Amino acid sequence: MTSEISTSDVLPMKMDDLFIIHLDDQTRLACLKDKTLLESLEAHQVEVHFQCREGFCGACRTKLIEGQVDYLTDPLAFIDDDEILPCCCVAKSDLKLKLGG
Amino acid sequence: MKYTTFNQQSTNPLVEPMFFGNPVNVARYDQQKHQIFEKLIEKQISFFWRPEEVDVSKDRVDFQKLSEPEKHIFISNLKYQTLLDSVQGRSPNIAFLPIVSLPELETWVETWSFFETIHSRSYTHILRNLFADPSAVFEDIVLNEEIKRRATDISKYYDDLIFATQVWQTQGEGVHLVDGQTVTINQRELKKKLFLCMNSVNALEAIRFYVSFACTFAFAERELMEGNSKIIRLIARDEALHLSSTQHILNLWAKGKDDPEMASIAEECHDEARAIFMNAVEQEKQWATYLFQHGSMIGLNKDILCQYVEFIANHRMAAIGLDTPFEVKSNPLPWMNNYLNSDNVQVAPQESEISSYLVGQIDSEVSGDDFGDFDL
Ligand code: FES
Ligand SMILES: [Fe+2]
Ligand SMILES: [Fe+2]
Repeated sequence: MTSEISTSDVLPMKMDDLFIIHLDDQTRLACLKDKTLLESLEAHQVEVHFQCREGFCGACRTKLIEGQVDYLTDPLAFIDDDEILPCCCVAKSDLKLKLGG
Repeated sequence: MKYTTFNQQSTNPLVEPMFFGNPVNVARYDQQKHQIFEKLIEKQISFFWRPEEVDVSKDRVDFQKLSEPEKHIFISNLKYQTLLDSVQGRSPNIAFLPIVSLPELETWVETWSFFETIHSRSYTHILRNLFADPSAVFEDIVLNEEIKRRATDISKYYDDLIFATQVWQTQGEGVHLVDGQTVTINQRELKKKLFLCMNSVNALEAIRFYVSFACTFAFAERELMEGNSKIIRLIARDEALHLSSTQHILNLWAKGKDDPEMASIAEECHDEARAIFMNAVEQEKQWATYLFQHGSMIGLNKDILCQYVEFIANHRMAAIGLDTPFEVKSNPLPWMNNYLNSDNVQVAPQESEISSYLVGQIDSEVSGDDFGDFDL
C-alpha cells in the first residue's frame, strides 16, 4: 500500500510534536516531544555533558531560563530550582536554555 | 547528649534537622522530611549486585600481557580504591549514625555504607583471580607512602567528628580534659566538624575515584581487563548516587532548607570547604604522577588525566555552589561517558557466571577424596 500523506496529516502532527529550543539569540532548534531533551540536543550535534543518562549523576545539569519540562524518571541528582536534567525530561513548551554552566 | 538506640520521647521527624536533633526512634518511611533520601535508598537497592556475578577469569591472562608500568598502574589503583572503600564501608555509619535525626537519612547512610562493603568485597574478588595469594597487595596499603598520605587526609575529618561526638555524648558540652588534651565541645563546634567532614566525603565521592576509573576504562578501551572494568562500572554507578546524597545534604544546608545554623556555618566555613576540595584535586593529580612514574599506558598520560580531573572538578564544585577554577571546558576523555552510562552497566547473563558461580565455587572446594564413598 502506497501511503499518501496529505498536509492535513502532517501539519497537525508537526505542530503538536515540535517545540523550539532557544540556546542563544542565533540558535533555535526543533525538539521532538518523544525524545528526551538530551537526545534532541544531541541530534543537533549540541554538546551536552552526560554520564548516567538516567537522572542520578548530575552531569547534564542545565539552566532553564524559560519554559517547562516533564520528567520521565524522577531526577535524583542535585539540581537548583532553575536547573533541569535534560537526560530524563521532555519539553512541555518552547524552551530557553543556557548551556555550559 | 547521651545516645539512645530507641528514643522513647515522642518526636516529629518532619521537623527535625538532618543531624543533631533528637535521635531517631521509629524507622518509618511513609513520610519524609527530605524525600530525596528515600528515593536514593530505593535507587541504590535497585542497583544491587554481587562481585561474584562478574566473570573476571579472562583478566588473569590479560594481566600477564601488561607491561611492568601498566601492572604498576593497575595494582596501585586497586590499592587506592581498596583504601577508599575500606574507609567508606565503615565511616559514614560511625560518624553520621550517632547524630542523625531523620529515619530516611539514617537508612540512606546504612544503605550507602553497605554498598561500599560490596565494593570492598569486589576488590578481593578481582585480586584473588590475579594472584594465588593477594596478601602482599593488601598489606602494602598500610605501608605505601603515597597511599598513606591520602588515607590521612581522607580519615582526619571523620576522626575529628567521631571523637568530638563521643566526648559530647559521654561528657556533654563544656571544656574537657581528654588524654591530657583540652577539648572544647559545643553545638556550633560539633556542627562545624560535621560540615567539614561532609565536604571531605563529598570531595571523596566526587573526584577521588576518577583517576583510577579512567585507567580502568582505558584498559577496557583496548579490550584488556574487561572483567575488572565491568565491576568498576557497577561501582561507578553506585558512587554517582553517593555523590548525589552529599551534594543534596550540602545544598540543603547552604540554602537554609534544613538547620539554619548550618546555613551560617556553610558561609563561615566556605573557604575551608573549598580548600578541602582543591586539596583533593591536587592529591588526585599527584596520584596520576605516581601512577605514571615508570611510564604511561596506551591511550592515557599524566597530562590528559590531570585535565580530566579538572574537568570533573569544575562540575562537582559548581554543584555545591563553589566557583569553577579550571580552564578546561570540554571533556578530554569523551569515551569515559560510555562506561559511566547506566544503560551499558547491566551484567549480561551470557558474559557472567550468574548461573554457574555457585557450582564453580563448590567445584573448587571439593576434592576427589570427598567423593570416596560415591559409586558413580
Ligand atoms: S546524565 Fe546523569 S543526570 Fe543526566
Ligand atoms: Fe565505593
Ligand atoms: Fe561511595
